[in-house]
Amino acid sequence: MDQIIHYFFDFSLMKTYWPEILWGFLVTVEMSILTVAIGIPLGLAIAIVRLYRIVPLNALIVLYIDFFRSIPQLVLIVLTYFAVPYFGLVLEPFAATVLALVLVLSSFAEEIFWACINSVSRGQWEAGRSTGLGFNQTLFQVVLPQAIRMSIPPLTNRAIAISKGTTLGSVVAVPELLNVTSSIQSNVANPTALTVGAVLFLLLFLPFVRFTRWLERVYSHPS
Amino acid sequence: MQVVMQEQTAAPQGNLVTIEGLCKSFGSAVVLQDVNLTVKKGEAVVIVGSSGSGKSTCLRCINRLEEPTAGRIIVGGQEATGRGVDLNALRRRIGMVFQSINLYPHKTALGNVTLALRKVRGMSKHEADAAGRRHLELVGLADKADSYPSQLSGGQQQRVGIARAMALEPQVMLFDEPTSALDPELVGEVLNVMMRTKDLGMTMIVVTHEMQFAREVANQVVFMDAGRILTRGSPEEILVAPEHPRIRDFLARTNK
Repeated sequence: MDQIIHYFFDFSLMKTYWPEILWGFLVTVEMSILTVAIGIPLGLAIAIVRLYRIVPLNALIVLYIDFFRSIPQLVLIVLTYFAVPYFGLVLEPFAATVLALVLVLSSFAEEIFWACINSVSRGQWEAGRSTGLGFNQTLFQVVLPQAIRMSIPPLTNRAIAISKGTTLGSVVAVPELLNVTSSIQSNVANPTALTVGAVLFLLLFLPFVRFTRWLERVYSHPS
Repeated sequence: MQVVMQEQTAAPQGNLVTIEGLCKSFGSAVVLQDVNLTVKKGEAVVIVGSSGSGKSTCLRCINRLEEPTAGRIIVGGQEATGRGVDLNALRRRIGMVFQSINLYPHKTALGNVTLALRKVRGMSKHEADAAGRRHLELVGLADKADSYPSQLSGGQQQRVGIARAMALEPQVMLFDEPTSALDPELVGEVLNVMMRTKDLGMTMIVVTHEMQFAREVANQVVFMDAGRILTRGSPEEILVAPEHPRIRDFLARTNK
């Protein structure tokens, strides 16, 4: 028992590291927010463009989505950081990680939006169009509000899963929470730092996970 | 064999809807063959026939929810078919009520009625709300303005559907089996509203299986069979004492 407390809960060792840990936590929060705030609207935008059924464009979109949904996030982060500079674009580790995660999240988000838009019944389009609303008006006033409502639970789940990929930024030396806590661990030869990291990750993501539970409950019983 | 009566388009005056030689195929399946129909202003035309006879498709060609393969449709003196027709402007003049009702689930009854008033007619929220409430009152649902579709019965939903179409003050209303998806006990209230709509002088084309309604309201009954108009005439001619064996057959089956 003492062993366990000594190894995982010896907070006295953390004294000098708290500012560093807090900083790492903030970097993680920042990356997560950026990923979600850019990735989801981008996914929605792509889904909307896809609705116009411009054949060559849609072929590109499908290619984009399938590529970024298949490639492991870690591989993509490494590629973005190490390979992209050969094409003349040098990215900070932070930016490279966020970019990679945005690409992945936007692809999954697009598929979720696309599926939800297509599950809105044809009758809704017809009702809108029959009253003289144009395609765009019907899309934005009638179809999208319903599709977005449906997409919220799966989207939140996916956003959480991909935001957790911010930890992968540690491989390209982003000073995020996992990176900071694991280097503290090796400095003090004690994994308490990882305990702290785990608690902080829970603090960040648990509210979101609870939030999706709540959403799922709310949306399964429409008013 | 009874020959299909062919009205010519010699007298466009008073004809609000004219359909000439309408054909529609889905791939190799022919759904409509040479359908000709004229509807006078203020008239209620009821289209009957067994399912798959092309009734709904015919109706949906009028506001171009289906694209006719051939033929010509004129609504209110303006071409509805062919290239270069402003579909949104055409549909503004044609109200439609659906079998599947198709209310917007995320909007209240009033929101359903006012959406097109604001976005298509360009009314302010205030004007649209006033017009919307007026039309909800017309269908007897003034007190349900703030209810969502999920809080309304099927009959009430369909009445909102009628109000939504009527609010645009169309030249003609298309009813595509408006009561077929409803519980029998809810059919009456919808038919009553449709009769009131007729009394207001609205031109109506109605696809329905409600023979009683057809007998009471129709000025002209059209019997469709296998994509063609088999015969047409007054409700008495078609529904009470039909000469055509095909119709007698049909009526025997529907009346049970």
